[in-house]
Amino acid sequence: MNFWKDFNQGLIKENPVLRLMIGLCPVLAVSNNATNALAMSVAVAFVLIGSNFVVALIRKIVPDEIRIPIFIIIISTFVTISDYVMQAYFQDLHHALGVFVPLIVVNCIILGRAEAFAYKNPVLNSVLDGVGMSIGFALALGSIGMIRELLGAGSVFGFQIFNPAVAATIMILPPGAFITIGFLMAALNKWENKVQ
Amino acid sequence: MKRIIGLGFILMVFCVISAAALSLVYLLTKPTIDLYSKRTFENSLREVIPTADSFREINRVGMVFYQGMVSGTVTGAAFSLAPQGYSGKIEMLIGVDLNGKVSGIKILNQRETPGLGANVIKSNFLKQFIQKSLLDPIEPKKDIDAITGATITTRAVCRGVKSALDNYQMVRDKK
Repeated sequence: MNFWKDFNQGLIKENPVLRLMIGLCPVLAVSNNATNALAMSVAVAFVLIGSNFVVALIRKIVPDEIRIPIFIIIISTFVTISDYVMQAYFQDLHHALGVFVPLIVVNCIILGRAEAFAYKNPVLNSVLDGVGMSIGFALALGSIGMIRELLGAGSVFGFQIFNPAVAATIMILPPGAFITIGFLMAALNKWENKVQ
Repeated sequence: MKRIIGLGFILMVFCVISAAALSLVYLLTKPTIDLYSKRTFENSLREVIPTADSFREINRVGMVFYQGMVSGTVTGAAFSLAPQGYSGKIEMLIGVDLNGKVSGIKILNQRETPGLGANVIKSNFLKQFIQKSLLDPIEPKKDIDAITGATITTRAVCRGVKSALDNYQMVRDKK
């Protein structure tokens, strides 16, 4: 069994953001500071692991023709649950993430993993795949968030490091997200070439 | 045909299970959500009318506002306004004391540009409005320092503060 491989591939080799380039919409929108980025990662992890688990569990009784609507029902159920829970217990985060929590429904990482992995693999492997992909997503989103917050607002996790007056505001605006992702991908490619 | 009905039935079963799970979570979280949003709003009222310890909602001359009181005596009023900012409405709560001066201002909701207009929530900017009355110009470049790179946002807040003061006068005159 390839448990380690299933877990591992989401981290770097098939990192959803920096390698597969999917689910970029929330990445661009909520990575303007590190706290939001991590909160979004946690919400995505809950939905992804939950939906991978359920999809793998029911994969044998789901008819092929209607598998996509069923995946969407499962995913949106988990998204709505996380939305309610956030609204009840993490008001500030819910406020900051706003519409991007409900929009996790259309995040292609989740439907992508349900279709490409969980529908064809046993429960344990699918959960591991979900965990790996979530960590990969969190690593990418977290580092983008930290870089953007540091350069754009002069702080990390809200702690002021230098005067925000000299920070490059463009970094916390949408173009800053593209610039950061580009540099991170370049760095990752360079590092991987070196390793090989 | 039989196949389609079968598929529809399976889909329905999934929907029912999902609906049941959601209702359960909704019932569990609803009280906390309501409690929290009520408390948050009351805290905001307390911030903009610091002299008051209890509040009540008033509907007079077609206007909804909040009265702040200390043991039955009115000490100020708070108005909820949403002037158009640079991107969307800026929802704010403005407290006015009995002399018609701003006693506090809080931004409840805004979608201004991060790093520029979003600085509207900072107390350094907002505290400029405290103690302003209708006798003050309340305009950028006159008595208000604008937020760097966000003149439209600054003007919107000025407009909001002015209409709160206008509203206060209207409510007081029609008493």
